[in-house]
Amino acid sequence: MIRAFSPFLALRYLLTRRINILGALGVAFAVWAMLVVNGVFTGFVRDIRKNVENSAPQLLLTDLPHDSDFAVLQEALTDDDIVAIAPRLRQFAMLQPVGTDRARRLQGGSSELDFNHTKNGFAMLLGIDPLLEVEVVNMPSWLQRGASEIRRNGGEVLPATVFDEPDPDRRAEMLLPDAVEWQSRKDAGMAYERDIEQHESSLPGMLLGWRRIFHLYPMGSGDPFEIVCASFVKSGDGVAMRPYSKPVICAGWFGSGNRMFDETTALLPIETVRTMLGQDFDDPSSIELVTDVAIRPRDGLSPAELAALQARLQQKVQATLPEGSKPCSILTWQEQNSVYLRAVAQEHVMMQLVLMIVMLVSAFVIYATLHMMVVQKIKDIGILVAIGGAPRSVGSVFLITGTVVGLTGSLLGVLGGYLSSIWLNPVNDWLFANFGVEIFPRHLFDLDGVPCHLEPSWVASVAIGAVLLAILVALIPARKASRMNPVTALSFE
Amino acid sequence: MTAVLSASGITKNYAIGKREIPVLRGVDLSIEPGEKVALLGTSGAGKSTLLHLLGLLDKPTSGTISYDGQPVQSLPVAERARLRHQQIGFVFQFYHLIPELTALQNVLLARMMGSSVLQYWGQRKRAKQSAIAMLEHVGLGERLHHRPTELSGGERQRVAIARALLAEPKVVLADEPTGNLDSHTAKEVVDLMFSIQQERQLAFLLVTHDEGLALRCDRIVRMKDGRIVDQNNQDAENNA
Repeated sequence: MIRAFSPFLALRYLLTRRINILGALGVAFAVWAMLVVNGVFTGFVRDIRKNVENSAPQLLLTDLPHDSDFAVLQEALTDDDIVAIAPRLRQFAMLQPVGTDRARRLQGGSSELDFNHTKNGFAMLLGIDPLLEVEVVNMPSWLQRGASEIRRNGGEVLPATVFDEPDPDRRAEMLLPDAVEWQSRKDAGMAYERDIEQHESSLPGMLLGWRRIFHLYPMGSGDPFEIVCASFVKSGDGVAMRPYSKPVICAGWFGSGNRMFDETTALLPIETVRTMLGQDFDDPSSIELVTDVAIRPRDGLSPAELAALQARLQQKVQATLPEGSKPCSILTWQEQNSVYLRAVAQEHVMMQLVLMIVMLVSAFVIYATLHMMVVQKIKDIGILVAIGGAPRSVGSVFLITGTVVGLTGSLLGVLGGYLSSIWLNPVNDWLFANFGVEIFPRHLFDLDGVPCHLEPSWVASVAIGAVLLAILVALIPARKASRMNPVTALSFE
Repeated sequence: MTAVLSASGITKNYAIGKREIPVLRGVDLSIEPGEKVALLGTSGAGKSTLLHLLGLLDKPTSGTISYDGQPVQSLPVAERARLRHQQIGFVFQFYHLIPELTALQNVLLARMMGSSVLQYWGQRKRAKQSAIAMLEHVGLGERLHHRPTELSGGERQRVAIARALLAEPKVVLADEPTGNLDSHTAKEVVDLMFSIQQERQLAFLLVTHDEGLALRCDRIVRMKDGRIVDQNNQDAENNA
């Protein structure tokens, strides 16, 4: 049972010894740091995952042989748990703007990207079937985001409209309106009809990741590019390299939210990429070449059902591949970006460890202040025992002091953390507007603001943990006080 | 009459390294209710050690200490604390007040020792009234809210006396209570202590070097080398 003198004296010590305020502030700072830094990290991880999920299909069939035919795979990918599939074809290529003026403009650009250092640059071409791709990823949101990111960075653009084209054949080629292409050809010095009314668009549209096009600004929608790539073809007994170039036209910008993807990728009609790789649509011997197939499973599948679907599809697809083929993979969106997501998660864990150390330091501050108090109050301990205080109750004085310090610090820290989470973005904006400084470089990760998400369970864990830690470290000096010989304590000078 | 406090065959050794140093070598002493006993002796005679043993602050190496005839030296720590609170009041040479507390709070502390938080909350007004009355009784009615650093030596000792008496003990153990005071203040403090002792019929054991002060007690016990070498009854001597 706690005797009345224990809390009474503990509060007196707290109010008269300012060093205890230091202990409480130490705990408050540690709790605040744990909440805010972890809150930002939690929000960051959540937003990053959301962006990555938005940039990738739910499932992706990949690691296929180089001559995989979509027509064959389609059969294997028929399953009750699949809603839609879309073929994809990846190929590295060089892009070069058409037209002298544009090329010159690129040379004088300010970007650090390879486009500036040479007149052309590499890009990962991703051939898609626009009619099918919209069924597996949220393509309209990509276009919307691409335009809004450029607008946020000072450009005045509208979202691309190639997917709004009513004619499915034109939509599949991502063609721009006839008049727009006619003007572009004329401006770039390309061949064009004298009569605009006679002109029909024929240049395949290309959607560029907004990060690349942003650095090329004012290059924009309607600007023609030359794509150059090479493929290896059988020639006699050996293999020969077959170069290929094709003019395309920038049809707009996309922003998936995945920085790497948005920086390196150019979306093209899959038939254009197939043609570049020697699989011309008009050639009867050509195949529907793919490197990957994007898959949208039915909504509401449990993780176990999804895993079962992955295994089932892998087996079915593998059975269609030539004997001796390497195993193909069916990857979830997390698995497609596992290195990135693991790195972010690992960073989060490391940050939590650092924060734990901050908390331990604050606990040490409490311990040090209480230990010092016990040493300074040795005589008081003797007095308390002499006038009838039981050793345990005497120890409680220091335990209560530590508990109140921990409790006060914890409450202040939670309050500070909560207020900081509310004011983080306005403060960040103000700092950027006035001093050009950002607490968190949100543009680096394509985030709308400083992400901060306080998980109630984390707040409770930190607050309770801080108090428990304070109690734990207070137990040591409290035990020392309760075990002190009163005669020695009374004669202490 | 039954002794309120008695000690029989008390020895106390302190270990210094592997050596055992005997400080008390078999002390027998008893004090009756209302009796004032002075404990005299040179430094190192064992007076303070005996006082600490009788006050249950330490345990004897051997021997028996009894309160109201009940042996107490082997009681558990918490029981000894309870007994100290209920039966014993301490007055020290250096007052031993808590510097963070006012005079009133220092005295009230004695009342808080025996009560839980809830019990004390229920009786806090009564406790405060008795503490104020006690401080007024020792002449500090105007100094209730002063901290020890704002009080003179005599005033501090009066606060210590008030604290020792608030819990209405049967025995007061005073360790050179005037040792740190000038002679005028010392006389005032002793007069006060003895008047209260008389009033309440307290058993009083006073450790002192002051022969004059000892002569005002009912009995003088002299110690030397850890033994009682002389006990004389002042009334008997005076009558003789």
